[in-house]
Amino acid sequence: MANFNIDSKSERTFDAIVIGSGMSGGWAAKELGDKGLKTLVLERGRDVKHNKDYPTTNMYPWEFAHHGQVTAEIREANPIVNRCYAFGEDAMHFFVKDKEHPYVQEKPFDWIRGYQVGGKSLLWARQTQRWSDFDFDGPARDGFAVDWPIRYKDIAPWYSHIEKFAGISGNLDGIAELPDGEFLPAFPLNAVEQRFSKHVKQHYQNRHVISARCAHLSKPNQIHFDQGRAQCQKRTLCQRGCPFGGYFSANSSTIPWALKSGHVTLRPFSVVESIMYDEKLGKATGVRVIDTNTKEAIEYYADVIFLNAAALNSNLVLLNSTSSRFPNGLGNDSGTLGKYVAFHNYSAHINAEWDGDKEWTTDGRNPAGGGYIPRFRNVYKQETDFLRGYAAGFSAYRYRETSSDGVGEDLKKNLVNDSLSGWKVGSHMMGETIPKKSNYVALDKSQKDQWGIPLLKIAVEYDDNDAKMKKDYVEQMTEMFTSAGFTNIKASTDNRAPGLDIHEMGGVRMGNDPKTSMLDKWHRLHACQNVYVTDGASMTSTSCQNPSLTYMAFAARAVDHAVSESKK
Amino acid sequence: MNRRIAIRNMALILGSAAVLPSCLHDNKGKPVVELKYLKLNGEQENLVSNLAETILPKTNTPGAKDLGINLFVFKMIDDCFDQKGQDEFMAGLKEFGDVVDKKYGKSFNELTAAERTAFANDIEKQSKDPNNKDKDAKATGFYWTVKGQTVFGYTTSKYFMTEQIIYELVPGRYNAMFPVKKKAAV
Repeated sequence: MANFNIDSKSERTFDAIVIGSGMSGGWAAKELGDKGLKTLVLERGRDVKHNKDYPTTNMYPWEFAHHGQVTAEIREANPIVNRCYAFGEDAMHFFVKDKEHPYVQEKPFDWIRGYQVGGKSLLWARQTQRWSDFDFDGPARDGFAVDWPIRYKDIAPWYSHIEKFAGISGNLDGIAELPDGEFLPAFPLNAVEQRFSKHVKQHYQNRHVISARCAHLSKPNQIHFDQGRAQCQKRTLCQRGCPFGGYFSANSSTIPWALKSGHVTLRPFSVVESIMYDEKLGKATGVRVIDTNTKEAIEYYADVIFLNAAALNSNLVLLNSTSSRFPNGLGNDSGTLGKYVAFHNYSAHINAEWDGDKEWTTDGRNPAGGGYIPRFRNVYKQETDFLRGYAAGFSAYRYRETSSDGVGEDLKKNLVNDSLSGWKVGSHMMGETIPKKSNYVALDKSQKDQWGIPLLKIAVEYDDNDAKMKKDYVEQMTEMFTSAGFTNIKASTDNRAPGLDIHEMGGVRMGNDPKTSMLDKWHRLHACQNVYVTDGASMTSTSCQNPSLTYMAFAARAVDHAVSESKK
Repeated sequence: MNRRIAIRNMALILGSAAVLPSCLHDNKGKPVVELKYLKLNGEQENLVSNLAETILPKTNTPGAKDLGINLFVFKMIDDCFDQKGQDEFMAGLKEFGDVVDKKYGKSFNELTAAERTAFANDIEKQSKDPNNKDKDAKATGFYWTVKGQTVFGYTTSKYFMTEQIIYELVPGRYNAMFPVKKKAAV
């Protein structure tokens, strides 16, 4: 890495360039390396090597200066990222701090970012569900956005490809709206989760409570050992980086695998300023990078470019890649670039108690987090006054209850005299939002970052459909909880800004028609066919599954296409 | 456990904020713990340490001072409380001292251990009484702040998590259906 000869153009020329090293960029890098393409992976942040760069991974609670708490100084300096559930003393070094990389909030938007090799794949919640045609058909059936140019059959083999390598645990549930995959054994539901699952099955049509499918090695196969990964040890300290490689991250899996191929070069501290376009050739020729340490501009060249900078930053790169052919951003003939941004609505929760199954508890920790309820609203037909629907998490737990009454010997006794609480149950919504032209990102006209790149301006907000859906989630879950016999049911909604779901999507959407979309069915820019965008930016609609698995499948499929094209 | 070693270990953990005193009971009014925001004199510092030790005294097991929990309390309030929380803490500290003075005619630091314990127990009792008007007083708030941080520091201390309960960094297992009876036997 250290000996980059930037003087020679041939030294700066590759078969492929991947912009971004996270969830989808890692996959592009791995697939390109496997296929023998000389590939440069650009990462704007620092390198984070598996294990070596997980400084907190084996720390005990008492080894943290504040035993896990975030100091007031850091909270006050970082009102945005501090709202993220995983931003604690043990993992804050993997999050972008508010002041380091400013952006413009035309409307409130909590943009949660991880600028390092591996990106947010170190920090994700590891939930992985396939889409089905009930999702891909959505926009066409319900008349919003544009029709997806692909269907489940196009992506299914690539889901399998990803799942086998990444390691996804789950059951073969046989649910049409949530297709089964290549699963390692699921993490089972506990007594009350099972009870609720049975209850829902008996009393509701087409509603299911299943073991959450997640990217954890419940029972690794040879392919996982080959990556240097081992069985998940149920620490549930994943956000620190896992010394076992027990969950999938680019750091533990795709990036080291890609580097091992011998064809892939990783260059951290390299923020992409723009993709260069040659009008005579009618294609992109490479990327212009700013070294974030030296602020030196460097150009790299390649036949094919994969843009995987994470949804909104992929928008930024294209918006900032202007030429006389593309004055409004690379490939932006349709004028849709930066528009039709959407996200997931996570702003409702429900909690309750179950006064039974007292003879059962759990032992150890469940990395899957419990149960998952696939979307049941408006699946087979439109049945509500809002479009689309929501998935939901569901989990049941008991905890160690102690009293901290008294002082002295009384207190000491109370603190070790624990009893097991009764069962608590909880659920949260994950709602689909409808992409709209008015939800957009754009370049700020005057403000630039320290590398001279315009700041991203974000204008994204909820709408009436979201409000109605949120209300329906609360009603439906309250009813399901009530009929299951749960008590003390308390629904809570919050007014979180979009973004905190960390599922921002769109802006570079796929579609059949170049007049109304940016990408074709292979994730290529309609108007610049050697640039592929396979991260969240490419999403035409959001459905309500956790999106990472789909981005990974997109990336692998697109690489396969790019390589087969290059052989023509 | 050797107290000095325990405090030194704690100080190592706490990092630069805690400057190791040669003697924690410096009564000359000079503070011995270096804090960034909180301005405590030696008297006040001792009060907080003594209160932490009253809440969690050395018995046949280590107390707050043995485990450096009093230093942890300072650190948490100094680092993790916002300005408002720190102002409330300081106001409560003053009021707490005044209440003790009024009741006993001497300072909290001058009380015997038995008197301190009796005073703390009184606050605990009063706080539980719904008819008690004083339960929202600043002095009471101060007491619960110190107690909250003392209990948090203690229950997340190495001593507590290794010798009083079993904390598992690496459980290595998840049994979804586990009989409570079996758990009790463990």
